[in-house]
This record gives sequence, structure tokens and C-alpha cells, in this order.
Amino acid sequence: MNRSGVRGMLRSPFVIVTGVVLAWFVVTFLVWPNANLLIATFFPDGTLTLRAVDKLISSERAMRSLTNSFLLAVVLSVTVNAVGIFIVLVTKYFDIKGARLLWFGYASTFIYGGIVLAAGYKFIYGENGIATDVLLRFFPGLDPAWFTGFFAVVFVMTFATTTNHMLFVSGALGKVDQQTLEAAKSMGASDWTILWRVVLPMLRPVLFAVTILTFLGGLGALSAPQVLGGREFQTIAPMILTFSTSLTSRDIAALLALVLGVATIVLLVVLTRVEKGGTYFSLSKVSSELVKQKISNPVVNVVVHVLAYALFAVYTLPVVLIVLYSFVDSRAIESGELSFGAMSLDNYARVLGQSSGLRPFIVSVVYSGLAAVISVVGLIFVTRILSKYRNWLTTAVEYLLHIPWILPATMIALGLIMSYDHPNLLVGNIVLTGTTVILLISFVIGKIPFTLRLLKASFASVNDTLEEAASLMGARMMYIFRRILMPAVLPTALAVGALNFNSLLDDYDTAVFLAHPLFQPLGLVIKANTDGAVSLDARANTFVYTVLLMVITGVTMYLVYGRAMRPGKGRRRRAGRGVLPTSGGASVAPVPDASTRPGAGVTARTATQPSAEVA
Amino acid sequence: MIRYENINVTFGDFVAIPQLDLQVDEGEFFTLLGPSGCGKTTALRTLAGFVQPAAGDVHIDGRPVTRLPSDKRRVGMVFQNYALFPSMNVWENIAFGLKVRKESKAEVDRLVRDIARRVDLSDEQLEKDLAALSGGQQQRVAIARALVLQPKILLLDEPLSNLDAKLRGQLRIQLKELQAQFGITTLYVTHDQDEALTMSDRIAVFNHGRVEQVGTPQEIYDQSATEFVCNFIGDSSRLTPDFVAQVNLGAGSDLPLERSSYLRQEKVGLQPNPALPRSAALDGVVVSRRYHGVHSSYTVSSHGSTVKVMQREDGTVQPRVGDAVTLHVNPANVLQYTPDGVAAATPDVAAAEVTLR
Amino acid sequence: MRKLNQLAATTAAAGLLLAACSPSGADSDTGNGDGGSGETLIVYTNSNADGRAEWLTAEAATAGFTIEVVGQGGGDTTNKILAEANNPVADVVFGLNHVYFSQLVAADTIEPYTPSWSEEVDPALGDPTGDGMYWPVVQQGIVLAYNADALAADEAPTDWTDLWNDERFHGRYETVDGLGGATTQLIFAGILTRYQDPDGDLGVSDEGWEQIQGYFEHGSPAVPDTDLYARMAAGDVDMGQMFTSGIPSREEEYGVTTGVVTPEFGVPFAVEQVAIVQGTDQTEDAQAFIDWFGSADVQAAWSAEFDSMPVNAGAIEQADASIVEFHAGLQQQDVDFEFVTENLSSWIEKVELEYVQ
Repeated sequence: MNRSGVRGMLRSPFVIVTGVVLAWFVVTFLVWPNANLLIATFFPDGTLTLRAVDKLISSERAMRSLTNSFLLAVVLSVTVNAVGIFIVLVTKYFDIKGARLLWFGYASTFIYGGIVLAAGYKFIYGENGIATDVLLRFFPGLDPAWFTGFFAVVFVMTFATTTNHMLFVSGALGKVDQQTLEAAKSMGASDWTILWRVVLPMLRPVLFAVTILTFLGGLGALSAPQVLGGREFQTIAPMILTFSTSLTSRDIAALLALVLGVATIVLLVVLTRVEKGGTYFSLSKVSSELVKQKISNPVVNVVVHVLAYALFAVYTLPVVLIVLYSFVDSRAIESGELSFGAMSLDNYARVLGQSSGLRPFIVSVVYSGLAAVISVVGLIFVTRILSKYRNWLTTAVEYLLHIPWILPATMIALGLIMSYDHPNLLVGNIVLTGTTVILLISFVIGKIPFTLRLLKASFASVNDTLEEAASLMGARMMYIFRRILMPAVLPTALAVGALNFNSLLDDYDTAVFLAHPLFQPLGLVIKANTDGAVSLDARANTFVYTVLLMVITGVTMYLVYGRAMRPGKGRRRRAGRGVLPTSGGASVAPVPDASTRPGAGVTARTATQPSAEVA
Repeated sequence: MIRYENINVTFGDFVAIPQLDLQVDEGEFFTLLGPSGCGKTTALRTLAGFVQPAAGDVHIDGRPVTRLPSDKRRVGMVFQNYALFPSMNVWENIAFGLKVRKESKAEVDRLVRDIARRVDLSDEQLEKDLAALSGGQQQRVAIARALVLQPKILLLDEPLSNLDAKLRGQLRIQLKELQAQFGITTLYVTHDQDEALTMSDRIAVFNHGRVEQVGTPQEIYDQSATEFVCNFIGDSSRLTPDFVAQVNLGAGSDLPLERSSYLRQEKVGLQPNPALPRSAALDGVVVSRRYHGVHSSYTVSSHGSTVKVMQREDGTVQPRVGDAVTLHVNPANVLQYTPDGVAAATPDVAAAEVTLR
Repeated sequence: MRKLNQLAATTAAAGLLLAACSPSGADSDTGNGDGGSGETLIVYTNSNADGRAEWLTAEAATAGFTIEVVGQGGGDTTNKILAEANNPVADVVFGLNHVYFSQLVAADTIEPYTPSWSEEVDPALGDPTGDGMYWPVVQQGIVLAYNADALAADEAPTDWTDLWNDERFHGRYETVDGLGGATTQLIFAGILTRYQDPDGDLGVSDEGWEQIQGYFEHGSPAVPDTDLYARMAAGDVDMGQMFTSGIPSREEEYGVTTGVVTPEFGVPFAVEQVAIVQGTDQTEDAQAFIDWFGSADVQAAWSAEFDSMPVNAGAIEQADASIVEFHAGLQQQDVDFEFVTENLSSWIEKVELEYVQ
């Protein structure tokens, strides 16, 4: 491992080329636009203006929204962990009948999220919703609008953001050494004691990381509060969105964003501190695979089974209903009726038959695909340098690359517009606004921190000696990179790419500012369809789009995760030793990101996440 | 062949090696021995070119190589964890360096199969995935991978530490045989004194980045140059001045009392050794006994010292705990060190040789 | 490696797709405005819903114009043009009222043009500065509509202020808290402009602000994704804001008979304008399109299709008498648009921060 100083690092041509590109990118797209925006909002005439602070403090609504956001974050930290740990335990730890089926149900949040998910839940539990109808039959006194406000937001977000648990806690649990459980059992520990005193403490770092993600997700929640919060439960993110669109109110948006940003930074610092806390995992060389634990108490066993399947229903109901409703006509959707006789392919024919129907899909797929590929490929080079050289320069760069975590996507989009709506030397005097490139740039920007964290963890899990061995045999840096490092980080890179791709597919926040009018991505179309129910077909169209989205994301997830999970054949599979972000070699699990597809929009905050390498 | 000259290695504030001067001869099996963190691996990695010394030069074949990149130094290395490439099979691992050199396909295959045969890997194993190999086989792959490039020097960084005891014993022999067969200059890093003593032509004992002693295994053992080496190698007991005085008294020697004195456990007997007439006899009481099968280790309390004694289990009746015994000590076998830890005087080699006889 | 190749292939394929899905005639469009193809006119509008975009595209095609309609909300359309000021994508913009257009003019994004039909429209409905930067096409009353089946005409409110000042209407009218829409902003402008007070906050007296507070305090919040008329049909509310051309289609769709409140102050009118975007390189085509679009026949057809109230005198003659009559019955509120334009965004900010609940 070369811990050499800056000067030594700059001797490598690889570093210099990558470094120059990186430096340009960081300055041009991360630092300048955002600095520009902040300066313009807080120092409009060269002097500091605290107008926004005064306005915010005197606004009862703003202060209440802030309180609500923090309240949501705290409550979610508890509920998401409770549900998340439970579903991980019943799918991976306890011996539960049909665990595999359960897993697929719980994994439904992998394939849809954001506004689509929030709308799906509302469709079922909201007024006229099918679940509400059923409930009303049993409780006639129930308020049909029961599913709204704080409760509804917490409910939906709790189930929408367990994806991180599915990904990362599952991975960490898989590494718990069966022998430690047997040891505990031999000393007379009960199921409960083993779980509480042995297993969960071993998961502490990953749980901590996931909790922080959940917290940040709650803090920045956008679509769930927007769709379900109603007036009594408003949060910050929608306010930021509102104010950022108005030129005169942009400072308020920036200030609110800074509040979120500061909270994010504080949490990240705390996380980094705790990360250094030590090794929680068995480093034993002879660990044996975890065997599913039988629940010995029959009553508890039944209760856990019932709970597991109840949750399964909660997770799968929206997906199933969205799929079913996508086949029925608009009037039936409106009335919430569902009869199999009314089903047809008309909706699909209408959406796909229109000349314009498929276009947003293709645009979204191409944009998301390009952004995913560019972010991953670019960051592979960058991460390689950052993890190989440790000095003040690389540390500083690494911090700068986390900027997109601190500012919401909306603000970043605004910064780009402000900075590049006129010729600027940084981008070769090309005006970026009004081009197709600017949206791509902002997509890439948004995916940087998440990609960086996971790739870094992945690189860290590659043993340094591999590289040394190769260089000793005369392999050049690029050759080592290609033959040794790439195969090791490729599984993670692919997984990250897939998650990036999925999370960008239905992006709205960024696209609304930056999309080229002729290349409008799906998010804008979906939003346009949900705005105002003038056209009855709009809702049906949305269902169709949603189903198609789920198919695409589902296929992507399968290609990346599903294949890896299949019992492998052939030697190539070894390359997947670092497989998936869930199992980075020495690291506990390069943890998550609120914006990994799943939480994506529900937690709107584009990318908030730290990783929990224990190393 | 290999010469370290005034090497200084620092990592930030930490001085790993303050000043190292060392010479390794052609064809030698040379071991860097020491506890973990003593700088032995750093010294090895400096030779490989993975660590850049802050000062000094490394010479190979009389040429300074300090500024040369690793792959230009013609050294092969076997890593502690073998560093086999998990994405490649056995054949690909061994062929890696040849491919980098852009050897022809046929030549690569010929060389790979040739070296594989010499390290006892079958053709069938060459096609295998690494995971399908045992630890010993993996090690042979690592060695083959290092040797196939025909380096002038082979570096081995604790290559046996990942293996279980029995395999370790076997591989020790195999490794030494391979080295003898190839006749390649070998630098071997270990913290295991048994490995060092059995395999090496010469050993350098490291402590806190400094070389305490360089010598043949026997020199290191019998004539430990410093108190550290004496303690690190073998099993010895520290003697009280009272004990040393009794030895002087019984044997008519004049060992200085103020020095640190040690006695190796096999160089003291419970029966008089007729081959060592100048021995002193000291009274003691058995405190404990550990049975090893081949021998037993006794702890005997005598004149304020707790003396470890190795007694061959040759079928005769052995003393039990609490029994009074007599310790027979030859003053020539008492290792003495000045307060700064350096050997006070060369122990009486003649006497030592008598002991061995 | 295979995977890497796949990745590269995918990237290449994606790039091709992006290129392939450019609309015909706009291939060179991506980088630099509308390029030099000189064929497709890009039309930005907020008046695209309910099939307007499709209808216009088809009609324009028959008239020999290849157009691409890009529809977004009024605020978004404005922001988009402002953002693209230095690299305009649009050639023509229509549908925005003069509050938005004055912003566009101020940012120098509108190219002056006097259409061939300029004599046929009431100049009072166009650019209030008299510079003739943009020209009116459709007039739209922003009214308080109520469900005539639920409220008899004499029970209905007579002004917006009745809604919160008369307990009968508490909870029965819909309040909109998404303040970005043109309709909503005009409602607030229409109310606040009546309470002009140079000493008041943002030029509005305390009494004026109390009205806003009342509006939110006693209303029934709009339900996302649910049309006002759907709620009226369901009996959840009885009244709410509406733009006049939207009424006939909704009455038909939801089976609600509409009553319209006619305050003595009149109702604010949003007049949809059309103009050429500064920087277009298809000035001639854009001019020809505007001449065609604003002409009496096209506007009459537009009115017939979408129940709009035209501005063009010739179109008014051909328009459905009931529409003309209805609009004639609406007294246009005399809104001080200069005052509104100056303060609107600050008002909206204040409302967002202090009054929206």
C-alpha cells in the first residue's frame, strides 16, 4: 500500500490524467455551481443577507415543518429498524416456512419507490381505496380519510425504506459465525438471549449505518409527506422544492437545504467516529455458515409466522394491485372496483400505441443507463486512486465528492442552471442549459457519493498484496487494474450501476429543471399524468408506466443480484468473491444509501449515506 | 548478492528501521527472524521495492536497485496470504507474469507446466479453481508463480503461518528442498524460531528495526549475541547472582555476578555429565513438571533462581514435584550480558563443543 | 472481462438509442437550440392539456407547419425559457398570461413581432406597456365556481371574501396550497390588489392579509390528484377556483352544473398571449406560425374544440354564442398588473411561509 505523499502520487501518469479530469469535474460541477448559488442567495450584492433567516424563524409553518422532519427522522429510525430487523431475521435467521417467498415479498421495495410507491399506498389505503373499503365494512365509524398525516407517512416510509436492511443487514447477518451461536447455546442461552446478546450486537455497525441512512431519509423525505402528509404533517423537502422554483425565494430554499446539509454532516461525522470504534466481527479464519435457527417456543413461533406473513401482505399488496389495476379501465380505477372481467390490455395498447408513449421510456432508460455507466466507470478510476494514495489531497477530494449528499438535487440543478446558462470557460464556453447534456451531468453528480462509498469499500476489500504480487511480476498499473482489480470490484460496480440506473428511471426533481423539452424523461410524464385528474385515462396510464418501471427495475435487479444468488457454476464465479455490496470482504458491508433505488423518492434525498467499513 | 546499506525506513513519524546494514550471499537461505512489528517484513519489502527507504541503498549483484521499480529487480515473492488472484485459475495465476512479458502462448504454457511439475502440481490441478486447492497446494501455486519468472532472489513472507502445524512441518522441508533444488538466493521472513533454525543457512535476528545478530543457526542459538536474542531463541532461565556465585564456587570459575545471566534448559542436568567434569552441583527442589513424551520440563527452585530443566524421558525413574534434586551446571554454558544487553564475552566455545559431544 | 465488454456494448447501444430517438427533423437539435434544420418549430406552452397539444400539432401540420409542442405548467414554462435564455430551445411560446410574459420580456427572452392579426384584437388585452412584445389569443376568467345543484344562486357567495367571513361556507370551499399555478396566483393577486396600502407589508394592508389567513383557515384543502369537480360531484366541497374554459368539459365529465360567482369587483382575467422566443433561428417560420395560430379561423376552431374565449374579433364572431355570452357577463376585474408583477413573488413567498397551513 502506497501511503506516499502528494508528490510521489503525481509521478504516475495514470494519476495525473485521472486527476486532471477529476479536478476539472469537481471544480466545474461540484464546487462552482453550488458556491455560485450560495453566494448569489446569501451575498446578492456582495454583503451577507440574512433575510432568509428572519423569514424562516418568523414562519410558524417553516418551523413546524422543520420539527416534523426531525420528528419523522427519529420515529423512522425506530420503526424502520424494528420492521427491517424483523424481516431480515425471518428471511435469513429464523427457520420460517416459506422464507424465500417472504423474501421476494419484502424485496418489492427494490423495484419501485418514490412518488410511485407513495401513490400506490395511497391508492389502496386512501379514501375510496380498496383496503379502506374493507376496513369500513368492519369498522363503519372509521374516517375514510384515516390514512393521512403523520401516521400514514411513517407507515409508508417504514415499509418503503427497509431496502437498506434487506441489502446490508442481511449481508452482515450472513457473516455471523455459526460457532458463536453454538457456543452461546452450549452455555445455556435461550433463543432470545442469543439473538439479543450475541447476534444483534455483532450487527451493531451495520445497524448503526442503516439507522443513520434512515434518519437522513426521514429528514429529507419528499414524496411520502407530499402525497400522504396532508396539511397537518408537512416537512422540509417539499418546502425546499416550492421555494427553489421562485427566483425571489431561493434563499429560503437554500437555507432550508443548508439545515438539512448540516444535519447530514453532523451525522456523517458521528458515523465516522463510531466506525473507528473497532472490530465487531469474528475474524476467525474458520467461520462456519449460519444455520437457520428454529424458534423453540411454539407460541412465539406461530406469532412470528403470522407477523411475517402479515408484513408480506403489506409489502406485496400495493404491487399486486398496481399490476391488476393497470389492466382495468379508468372508470373502474376511479371507483376502486376490481373485476377480472373488466381486465384488458387496452391501457397498455393506449400507452404503448401512442407514438409518444414509449419515448419517455427510452429517454429515461438511456439517460439512467448513461448516468449509471459514467458514474460507475469514472469513479472506479477515481476510487482506485483515492484508496491507493492517502494524503491531504486525496482526503480533500474525497470530501468534495460528497457535496451532492449535502445539497438536495433541486439545489444542485439550480446551481447548474445559474452557472452554465451563459458561456463559461470551465465548460469550453458552451451554454449547457437547453442541451441534453445538462440533465445527464446532474444525474451523474447525484450518484457520485453513493457510488464512491460502495466502490471504495469494494476496493478496500481487495487485498493489497494482490496488487504487489502483480507489480512484482512486471504488470503495469493499467494491466493490474484490468486483470486484478476490475474482476474483484466488478460485481460491486455492476450492483451499484444497477441501483443507480433504477433510482434515476423515474427521477422528477432534477428533470423538471434540466430536461431538454424534446427528451422528457418518464418522471415528468408520470407527474404530468397525476397532475389534475382531468383525463380519466391519466391514472390508468400512470399504472401502466408504473408496471413497466417495475418490470425494468425488476429485470435490472435480477440481472445483477439474481444471477449472483444462483448457485454458481464455473470458476468465473470466484470473481464474485466480493459479490454485491452486501458482502465486501473485510468491510462489514459497504453500506447503503437512502437513494439506492428503494428508498429513492420516498426519501427523496438523493444520496445520503455513509458506509460502515469496520476496517 | 544482496546488500542493505545504511537503510532507513520511516512511515510518517514512525521509524520502522533506523539503520540497517546487511549482506546476503549468493545461493543462501537467509532468514529474517523476529517478533511481529520488528521490521523484518519491512526489510523484505524494501528489497522487493514496495517500501521506499528514506535513506540508504539496496544493492543486488553489486548494483544499486533502490530506485528501480519492483519488477526490474528480478525478485520473486510469496506472500503470507499467497496473494493468488481469485479471478483466475491455477494456470492463469502462474502464467500471469509470463503473459505480462508477452511470451508466446506456447512458451507460456511450456514454462507453466514445467514449473508446475517441479513444484509438484499436476496438469489437472492447473485447470482448477483456487478454492478447490488445499492450503499446501495454494502455497505451491504461489511459489510456482514466483519462480516461473526465474528471479535471482526469492522472497518468502511468512509463507507457512496460515497453515496448520502438521502441514507446516511438511512444507518446511519441501520448501527447503525446493530452494536447494533451484539454488536460488532466498530471503525468508518468519517469527517462528523453529523454522528459522531448521531451514536457514544464516539468520538475522531483528528487534525494533535493528539487527541484533547475524549468524548461522548454531551461532545464534549457542552464542546469542544479545540478551534479546538469548530470550527470543530457545528456552532459558534467568539466574540470580546468588545462583551464579554458587556455580563459581562449585566449578571454580569466576563468572561476574553483576551481569544478566541465563542458562538454557537443555544445558543443565539433574545427573552429572561425565563429559563435563568442570560442572558445579547445586541443590534445588522440583516445583513443577510438564510431561512432553520425548522429554519432561522441570522447574527447579535453586538459590533464588527458577531454573527450567529439560530431562530426557529415557525410561529411568524421574523425580516428582517436591523432590530435592541436584542441578549440574557447566559455567561455560552460562550466557552473560552486560547491562546494555550485549554478550559479555564469547562463551567458551571449546567447552560448548565438549558439551555437545 | 466479458462483463466489461458487455458494459461497453450497452453504453454504445444506449448512445445510439439516444441519437435514434430524436424526432425527425430535429436531429441536430440537441446541442444548439433548434439547429439549422429550419423545419420543426418548438412551441412552449402551459396550454397543452386535454388534447390541446395533439390537436394543435395536427392542425399545424395540415397548415404546413411541423411543430413540437412542449407542455408544462405556467411557472415551469417561464422558468424554462429564462434558464435557456442563452441557448433557447423554443421558437414560440404561448398560453402564459402577461404576468409571466412581463418576466420574460424583462429577461430579454422575447423577440418583438407584430402579428398580421394585431388589428383584430383588443390592444388592452395585450402587452400593457404598449410595446407589443406579445399578443393576446385567448381570454380566460379566473372565477369562483360553485356546484349549482348544491347551492341555489341566492345561497351562493357573492365574493371570495364571503367564503371565510360567512360561516355557511366554512369547510365547503376548496383551497389550493400549491401556489405555483397561474390560476391560484391570479386569485391571490385579485384579492390582495383590492387592499393596496403603501404602508402595509408588501404594499398590502393588514386587512388584506387577514383575508388570506381566512382563506386558508376555513377552506377544505385540495386533494392531490383529485379534481375540484370530482370533489364537488362527491359532495366533499361545493365551490372552488376555476378557469372559465375548463368549465364546460368538466361539467360534462362529472355531471355537475356550475354556477359562477360574480363579485362586484369583477373577476381577474388571464389573457393567454403568444410571442416569439428571442434567439430563434427560424424567425420567419415562427412569425408565419403566429400569424396562422392567432388568426380568426384557427382561434375559432380552437374555441370550438376547447371552449375557450378567443380574443380575435373574427374568432369571437364564429365562436359558440354561449361562450361569448358567458364571458361577456363576466366583469373583468381591474387588476393593477404593474403592482402585481412587482409584488407577486414576494406575496406568494409570504403566503407560503405564513399562511399556508
